[in-house]
Parts: sequence; structure tokens; C-alpha cells
Amino acid sequence: MVKYTLKRLLHGIITVFIIATVVFLLMRMLPTDYFFTEEQLMKFTDQQKEAALNAAGLLDPITEQLGRFYLNTVKGDFGISRRLQAGQPVVKVIGQKVAISTKLGVVALSISLVLGVIMGIIQTVKKDKIPDHIGTAYTVFVNSVPHLVSYSLILAFGSRVLNFPAIYSSRSHTILSCVLPVTCLCLTSIAGYGLWTRRYMVDELNKDYIKLAKVKGLSSRQIMVKHILKNAFVPLAQYLPLSFLETIGGSLLVERFFSVPGMGPLLTDAINRYDLNVVQTLVIFYAVIGVLGVFLGDILMMIIDPRIKLADREGVR
Amino acid sequence: MENKDIILSAKDVEIEFSLRGKKLKAIRKCSLDIYRGETLAIVGESGSGKSVFTKSFIGMLDSNGYITNGEIMCDGRDIAKFKTEKEWRTLRGKKISMVMQDPMTSLNPLKKIGVQIKEAIELHRGVKGAEAKDIAIEMLRKVGIPEPERRYNQYPHEFSGGMRQRVVIAIAVSCNPEILICDEPTTALDVTIQAQILDLIRKLKEELNMTVIYITHDLGVVANVADRVAVMYAGQIVEYGLAEEIFFDAWHPYTWALLSALPQLGEKGEELEAIEGTPPNLFVEIKGDAFAPRNKRALAIDFVKEPPFFDITETHKAKTWYLDPRCPKFERPSNIVNYREIIRRKVY
Repeated sequence: MVKYTLKRLLHGIITVFIIATVVFLLMRMLPTDYFFTEEQLMKFTDQQKEAALNAAGLLDPITEQLGRFYLNTVKGDFGISRRLQAGQPVVKVIGQKVAISTKLGVVALSISLVLGVIMGIIQTVKKDKIPDHIGTAYTVFVNSVPHLVSYSLILAFGSRVLNFPAIYSSRSHTILSCVLPVTCLCLTSIAGYGLWTRRYMVDELNKDYIKLAKVKGLSSRQIMVKHILKNAFVPLAQYLPLSFLETIGGSLLVERFFSVPGMGPLLTDAINRYDLNVVQTLVIFYAVIGVLGVFLGDILMMIIDPRIKLADREGVR
Repeated sequence: MENKDIILSAKDVEIEFSLRGKKLKAIRKCSLDIYRGETLAIVGESGSGKSVFTKSFIGMLDSNGYITNGEIMCDGRDIAKFKTEKEWRTLRGKKISMVMQDPMTSLNPLKKIGVQIKEAIELHRGVKGAEAKDIAIEMLRKVGIPEPERRYNQYPHEFSGGMRQRVVIAIAVSCNPEILICDEPTTALDVTIQAQILDLIRKLKEELNMTVIYITHDLGVVANVADRVAVMYAGQIVEYGLAEEIFFDAWHPYTWALLSALPQLGEKGEELEAIEGTPPNLFVEIKGDAFAPRNKRALAIDFVKEPPFFDITETHKAKTWYLDPRCPKFERPSNIVNYREIIRRKVY
């Protein structure tokens, strides 16, 4: 178990390392103009530009630059943002936004997980009856109607009828102004968790061991609680850590829609404005999240499902 | 049978399934008495309804299947009329229990096997916790699992197929059921394990005074364990009697066909006997004797009128016109008449 964990961690680090290298090299293939802020680009003469590039080490051989990049990254120095917030360290630019996105995301995910799983359970218990059909209709509606349309409906209804703030504000009524964005975030993920919970539970429902449990004389409710729920949760659990970590990345659409200053639009903005350090850092950041999320998912699975021994045989009995 | 105490009695049972809007008649007027303490084998090919018929004794029909006619009397109650789960739960586990075909999927993979046995014990025996655990360990020992204390805390995947079937049996008998239904309990197992499992069931039957119903298509199993045999075809029982009578004095042409198809009876180097054709379509009404179209020696009346049961002995009955006194004189196939002889020559 320990050995396996270490091995997986090592694999993860290697993956991130490769991604970081590729991204760094790709960024360096862009013209060096993007090293300057827009303002500098207008004012600087060619000599000044070259002097500045030299000072920053951007004209050094690529291997030397790469080495420096590794070293800085390990030290946690990701450089400074040149375009989005000129002169600010990248870490600080991202940091403010991460806090907002994570706050919204974790709240939304927790709500959707609870509601979605409950919805899935109700659908399973009332399979092929009206509650099940309502749940399915909701899922289909949410997934087939473009999100912008459903978000607009929520926005219109929420702000006009229920008087919630239509725009996120960090100054006044922060919590109230979070209600609509969180609702929008929940809309799709409740449908997702509901769908999968129902699906996995119905899968379990038809298995032989449920028949044996019935023959034993257990009631449907006991079977549901003692047997099906846990077994159906295993495949769901695998993706939970990743889902939670991904909330850090925020939602592009929702954050744009409600002007939330979160992580969602940051990557596209950074790419549009050629803020190379920010792009580079974000890519590494998302890579770490992905690798870590999958890794934690596997560990979690291993804890709940005794059949899964991911370790190479080391005296497991 | 020295003991004629009827423990369960099915009368004119009809079971239908609705499939994509169509009605499939899986069981057509089946009647059968089951005596306390006997081992009854119900044999027939796939789709003959042997499983469906037996599952209706314990309310385990698939959700699209229901009993449309007839009665199943048990303890003075007609369980064919049971509707709610609550009614069925008065029976399941305690009165009637069941061992299913595939031990690989019959256990919850995420629960310790001990807990799965304990669950049944706590449900029916009115004991909890450590006391239930002791009984569960005792059950494990009874079904022949070595080191039951240690095994109690293991998960199903740590057991082999045969061992898992032992655990399933331990669960099924942990509440001293009066009737144990074994739905092809050895089909999914290795040949070498089959005999062990049959032995185990036989031993437990004696110990716990159970009545055992085997559902199987393996006549070898039947010969080994059964006191009585019922042969099913196309949703009906066509012949039943003591095992001896079925093997050595069969009268229904379908029983003949089954017996002739036993590999033990074939001549070395010759092709095995097979029953030509396929079982009838149960979506349509069956006219006459359901087996007639596949029976080379069918009588004209077989295609027109369904035969009733004729008594051969007090215990042995067959549903075929051959037994009608008006039937033209005919000889049964020689291999059936000389079955005992052939078996003795081939097997011993």
C-alpha cells in the first residue's frame, strides 16, 4: 500500500514534469514581444528591448532557461504577470481568484452531491414510477438545453422575482450574491449525480446478491440501505476527489455570466492577452489538480472496496 | 415415502410474464405436492419453467411475472395470493430458503461473509451481536469451511467458487428453513467440487430436517440425490414419480428423450442422442401435447387433445396418451425398457 502510493506519486510527479516542460518550450516558441507589457512595447527602442530581454535571461540558450524554470518552479516562484495585472506575481494573481472560485465551487458541489444522490435514491426506489420520470425529465432538460438558456432563466427568475443580486459582489451582500451563481453550478451537477447514482443503484439492484438478500428475508428498505447504497457509491466515489479539486478551477460560463472574479475565465483571458507566465502556471496548476484528483480517487476506492488492492502483492492475504 | 405429510402443495398454478406488451405463459396448470423430508428434483431443459415454477414458492418471480391462476398452499395459507413484501417476508429465510446457481455473484462483494450470515441470523433468530456471530461461525463450521473464526472476517473475493457456494448455503440454512430450494447449485462449479456440494446439502438436510427441492437439468445429479423426480416440459409437469420409477419405468416420450440423451448410455464412437427441434413458443396457445411435434412416435390425438395424467403406480404419474387404455398397442423404445440393464452394463 505504502509502496504503491509512493509509486503512484512518483508517476504523478513525472507526468506534471513532462507537461511543465512541454508548456514551457511551447511558450518560448512565441515571439519575444510578448515578454513586454503593452505599454513597454510602445515605448521601448530595439536596444532597450534587447537589454531587457538579456537581463531577464530570455536570450540565453534554451537549456539554461529550462533549468532556471525548473528551479524557480520548485521554489514556488512562477514569475510575474505582464499583461493581466502588470507587475504582480502570478501566484498572487491566481491566489485571489482561487479563493473565490473554490468557495463557490465547494458549496455548490456539496449541495449537488447531497441533492443529486438523494434524487438518485428516490428514482431507484420509485423506478418506472412518476418520481423517476420527473427526475429523468429534469436530467434530460438540463443536459439538452444550452446552459446559457437555463442560466438566463435562473437569472431572470432569481433577480426579478426573488430579488437576488444579479451580479457577484465582494463588498456588500456577498452571500446573497452567491445564491444565483451557486444555483447555476448546482443545476447541472445535481442532474449528473442523480443520473449516475440511479444508474449504479439500478445496476446493483439486478445483481444476484440482492436476490439472496431478499431470500434471506431482508426488506427492500434494508436491502437498499445495507447493500445497494454502499456498493453503488463505490464507482461514484472514485471521481469525488477530482470533482472537488476541479472546483478550484471555477466555471468559465457561470463566472462570466455573473461577473464573478474567479478562476474560470482566467486561462482564456491569459491566452488572449499573451500573459505567458500566467498561462504556463495555470497549465501546471491544472495538471497537478488532475493528477492529484485521480490519485486520491484511487486511494479512496481502495479504502471502500476491499477487492481493490492496487498494491503489487506484498504479503496481502 | 413412509411419511406422507404434505409441506407444500401447488395446484393448477399458472404463471404469465408480460414481455413487450405480449403475454408469455411460462407455467400452464402445474400441480405438485411436496412431502416433508423428501428430496425432490425438478428436471427439464432450459426454458421448461422449472425455475419459474419453483421461484413462485418464495415470491422471487421477476417483476413482470405473476401467478394468474391456481393456489400454492403452505402452512394453511395460499401463498399464490401473496401480494406484499411483508407477507412474503413471513416465509422467506425461515420457512423457505434458496441457494442460487452462481456463487460468484450471490454474495455482496463489499461485505464480510460473516456479516452477511449474521444478517440473516439476526433477522430470524432474535439474537444480536456476539451471540449471532457465534452462530454464524458455527454455521461456517457446519458447511465445512476451515478456520471459521478467521474466515468470518474475510470478503467473498478471498474465497474460491466452491467455498463461496458453501457460504451461500450457510446463509440459506442459517435460520433452519423447512424447505431449501437449490436452483442448479452445482452448475457453475467445477466437476470435482459438485459432488462435495451435493454431499454437503444432503448432510445438512439430514441434520436440519429439511425438505430439499433441486432444480436441475443434470440427470446425474438427480440420480445421486433425489427421492422423487418431476419432469417438466414447456411449462408443464409431464411425468413424476419416485426416482427409481422415472429412471427405470418412464412413460412420457419427453422423459425417454431425456434419458436417451444421457452420454453414459451412448455407444462409444457413435453420435449422442439428441432431441430434435426446439421447445414450443410460449407466446401462443399450445394445442394437444406440447412435445408432440418433436416426438417421432406421436399419436394423432397428441396434436389435437391435451392428455390428462394417468396413474402408473400410486406414486408415479405421466401425462401421455400412451397410457390410455384405448391407445393402440405399442412398445416403448428398447433402450428405455432395458434401461436398468444398460446402466448396469455401462456404468458398473
